[in-house]
Amino acid sequence: MKRSLHPLTMWIWALLLIAAVVLADSAWVALSAIGVATALVIARRDNSPWGGSYWIALRIGAVILVIRAVVGILIGVPIPGRTIFTVPIIDLPSWMPGIRLGGAVTLERLSSSLHEGLIIATVIALFGAATSLTSPHKVLRTLPFFIYEIGITLVIATSLFPQLAHSARRIRLAQQLRGHEKISWRGLALPLLEESLSRSLQLAAAMDSRGFGVSRKRSRYRPEKWQMSDSAIVAITMALSSALVLA
Amino acid sequence: MIKFSNVSLIYPHSTKTIIEGLTFSIQEGEMVLVMGETGSGKTSLLRLINGLVPHHTGGILAGDISVDGISTREVKPGSLAHIVGIVGQNPLNGFVTDIVEEELAFGMEALNFPHDVMRKRVEEVLDLLGLNAVRHRSIATLSGGEQQRVAIGAALVMHPKVLVLDEPTSALDPIAAEEVLSLLHRLVHDLSVTVVIAEHRLERVIQFVDRIIYIEGNGETAIGPAEEVLKTAQLVPPIIRLARALNLSEVGTSVREVRRLTEDIRSQTFETTEIMPAETSVVIEVNELTINYGDQRALKGVSTKIHAGEIVAVMGRNGAGKSSLLHAIVGSQLPTKGQVRVHQKDPALLKGADRRRSIGYVPQEPSDLLYAQSVRAECAQADRDNEITEGSTFAFLSRLVPHISQETHPNDLSEGQRLALVLSIVLSGNPELLVLDEPTRGLDYQAKNLFALALKEYASTFNRPVLLATHDVELVAELAHRVLFLAEGDIVADGSTLDVLLSSPAFAPQVAKVMSPKPWLTVSDVVKAMAQ
Repeated sequence: MKRSLHPLTMWIWALLLIAAVVLADSAWVALSAIGVATALVIARRDNSPWGGSYWIALRIGAVILVIRAVVGILIGVPIPGRTIFTVPIIDLPSWMPGIRLGGAVTLERLSSSLHEGLIIATVIALFGAATSLTSPHKVLRTLPFFIYEIGITLVIATSLFPQLAHSARRIRLAQQLRGHEKISWRGLALPLLEESLSRSLQLAAAMDSRGFGVSRKRSRYRPEKWQMSDSAIVAITMALSSALVLA
Repeated sequence: MIKFSNVSLIYPHSTKTIIEGLTFSIQEGEMVLVMGETGSGKTSLLRLINGLVPHHTGGILAGDISVDGISTREVKPGSLAHIVGIVGQNPLNGFVTDIVEEELAFGMEALNFPHDVMRKRVEEVLDLLGLNAVRHRSIATLSGGEQQRVAIGAALVMHPKVLVLDEPTSALDPIAAEEVLSLLHRLVHDLSVTVVIAEHRLERVIQFVDRIIYIEGNGETAIGPAEEVLKTAQLVPPIIRLARALNLSEVGTSVREVRRLTEDIRSQTFETTEIMPAETSVVIEVNELTINYGDQRALKGVSTKIHAGEIVAVMGRNGAGKSSLLHAIVGSQLPTKGQVRVHQKDPALLKGADRRRSIGYVPQEPSDLLYAQSVRAECAQADRDNEITEGSTFAFLSRLVPHISQETHPNDLSEGQRLALVLSIVLSGNPELLVLDEPTRGLDYQAKNLFALALKEYASTFNRPVLLATHDVELVAELAHRVLFLAEGDIVADGSTLDVLLSSPAFAPQVAKVMSPKPWLTVSDVVKAMAQ
């Protein structure tokens, strides 16, 4: 068994890095943050169902990066600089001043959109890393809950995402075996949605019948202790992030 | 302990009354079985006991239910947590934490139990259920039987007076199921816990239960001692069918009782005619197949041949490698070593229409294959895929389950109807081989019979092989010609159904246990032998 950290440690770590990436606003900082997160996720992987969330987050990040680049090429304010290629300009009605479709794509314009896309992708990847590295169930139990219904809703929401990855794999496989190689989004989304919903409802029912949220206070069987290693990780990340931002 | 007075239940947007005018009471320390067809409302009835219905699911409830003097109408399910422990159909979906110990403590934490009480009760339950060895393990890595015991333990730490279980053995192999049921039996007898249990595989439970609540599906319910209800019920286990077929004066619920009643039959001698199966051509060839997942070995150099027209059951404990073998044969899992050939071709390379014509596969969750909005659309898709005349898939489906409406959404079908739909879709491709992964989970006896007939017909008319992984001993006895028995990735037995099932007491079907040492597995075997 790997030594376990406090469930909030990796979330604090991720939030600090996110702050550093956004404030430093540098592609190098963003890329190294992704590098560190990838290394950590690989080093601490286990077979938990949420372990794969990081890779999903990376993929979502990549899609956003591409979309941002395409939008950056097609729409926007011209930034002067070295022209790489020119897209024909599409005339827009006069009531849409200041917006241009197409036109010259300069190196500066392309790199600035890629840069923005990269920052957004990094933020998503870091959230994914935090989800991958700590069990969402554990995180949830450390949070104080004020209202019963909100607690239940949180459980449903957090248990939904990691299970999606697992079920999606299974359903895609089954449909390939039906001889449908190209699966429409409907073919995947409908069974997936149905299953996640019913699972979440079952989980909520189980929690409900086991007394979750009945008592205002709750005791701890094995309290999550904040340990030296947790403080160390947070301190190092804090020092590193402020160095990056101030540099 | 539990009192239902004139209880009726109806769900909103539904015209069907689930339960109507139900009145009964259950005493302390009683074990009661709830039985009925799939979709007849067993789960609803169980969930009424702790108020999950209607507090959690909605629905209109008339009448009154009280548990230990508390009316479920007045309190939320959570407030009954220390009186009623409920274990859901799939325990894995109900686990809140990741580690066994934490899961056991969860309910007590929620009710703010003091720390020393929690420690004591967790130890108690770990000992009672024999879970001490796995206390620090992650729940996801446990076997099905262990998971089920954790779920029961998580309910027991609250010291409930009532334990409610929804199909606790449906995903378990016969040995694990036996463990869970004898545990329940002990709880009833030693601790006087009241147990209410729903189960389809009656052969596993009836010997333990005191009374039966039989939901007949038309709103009617019959309540009474096990023998009495089973005498007239439609859904009955093999042991009762045997008593009916032999015109015994009484019915017995345990092997011991029925053995006593059939002593004179067993003492007669019958001629046994053994039919040697004709050798047919090899369809599947598995050669030294090894499959590893990381450093875990699922299969260790397995070799076997499966012939045309054979129905082969793959059996073994949870995690013995059944699914891995099936996945390799349908080509979704690449072998680490060795090879699989289906009609001399590598199944992993099959695509599209070729795949549909070669291998029909029904996965563990049949609904994985479905995504259309209605039965009609699903069948039409299958017709188009396989270029067959419009309506043939639906025609086949209505032969399996008559009275199915074309407009029904696949989600609203019962388990049995859904399996029939998936089977019709898969068979519409007229595949050269059929593979099924635990197809009969959650099916009642009638649905199972229909299903067995369809498979037999497919195998015999087209002379094609059927391969199915299952825990259901009775189904195997009815259906299979041959059994492959896997243990820890090896084939430990491979032979005719009769030889394999009779050689292991845990896997012997009920009729065989009653009639031992006579070589009969099913009621029809007995009837046939006696007629000669």
